[in-house]
Amino acid sequence: MLEEALEHLVKGIVDHDGDVTVRRANGRRGGDLLEVRVHPDDLGRVIGRSGRTASALREVMRALAGGKNIRVDIVDTDRR
Amino acid sequence: MTDVTTEPTGEDTATDVTEAPAVDLDREGEIAADFLETLLDIADLDGDIDVDVDGDRASVSIVDSDEGRVPRRLVGADGKVLDALQELTRLAVQAETGVRTRLMLDIAGFRADRRAALVKQAEEAVASVKASGERVELEPMSAFERKVVHDAVLAGGLTSESEGAEPRRYVVVLPVG
Repeated sequence: MLEEALEHLVKGIVDHDGDVTVRRANGRRGGDLLEVRVHPDDLGRVIGRSGRTASALREVMRALAGGKNIRVDIVDTDRR
Repeated sequence: MTDVTTEPTGEDTATDVTEAPAVDLDREGEIAADFLETLLDIADLDGDIDVDVDGDRASVSIVDSDEGRVPRRLVGADGKVLDALQELTRLAVQAETGVRTRLMLDIAGFRADRRAALVKQAEEAVASVKASGERVELEPMSAFERKVVHDAVLAGGLTSESEGAEPRRYVVVLPVG
């Protein structure tokens, strides 16, 4: 559910919604890690000015996870 | 070394400068409602969505439904989650329309309650200033909250201004003369 919810939120705010993927990985410190990948042109949108959009995504995802430890990583695919 | 002071831009009315004419507020509300509806479905959360136009803004509320209450964790402490969800909803609307939106999101009447409390606070300050002739300083508030207070003070027959720097900017209710 959480991956799907995050994917929906991110797809809503980007231009290239076909390029959005969310992958669940096991975080090192326990808890879930959700890795978001978007089209390079959309990276700025998902992060937002001073990281404002990324913070909003994390805030909402934490609420949806209901107190479960969850991390959201926006992967910069440009630098791979 | 440069002395950087964050001087507030004067106006408390947030972002009205970039307003494009003829924004279709109904359409904004519909896009927002779809976006939120799908989110609630995915997360399997209860809640109905009301869409309205409030002055020059689209206004969208997630309210308790017959099936169950909207989980209050979607509001969060001090409305933090609500603010985050509002931000994402605005971005989703902007992505569709290509125009900046000032859409307001409320959940379970949180903003409505907060607004009522602010109006009450403003009215009490007005009464106190009228009685004492002394200015009254209120606690720091967001730009949107200050706007609510300024309007209520004006309706009460006095004037007010904002002092201090963000994020600790606050309203001062002024005596006549």
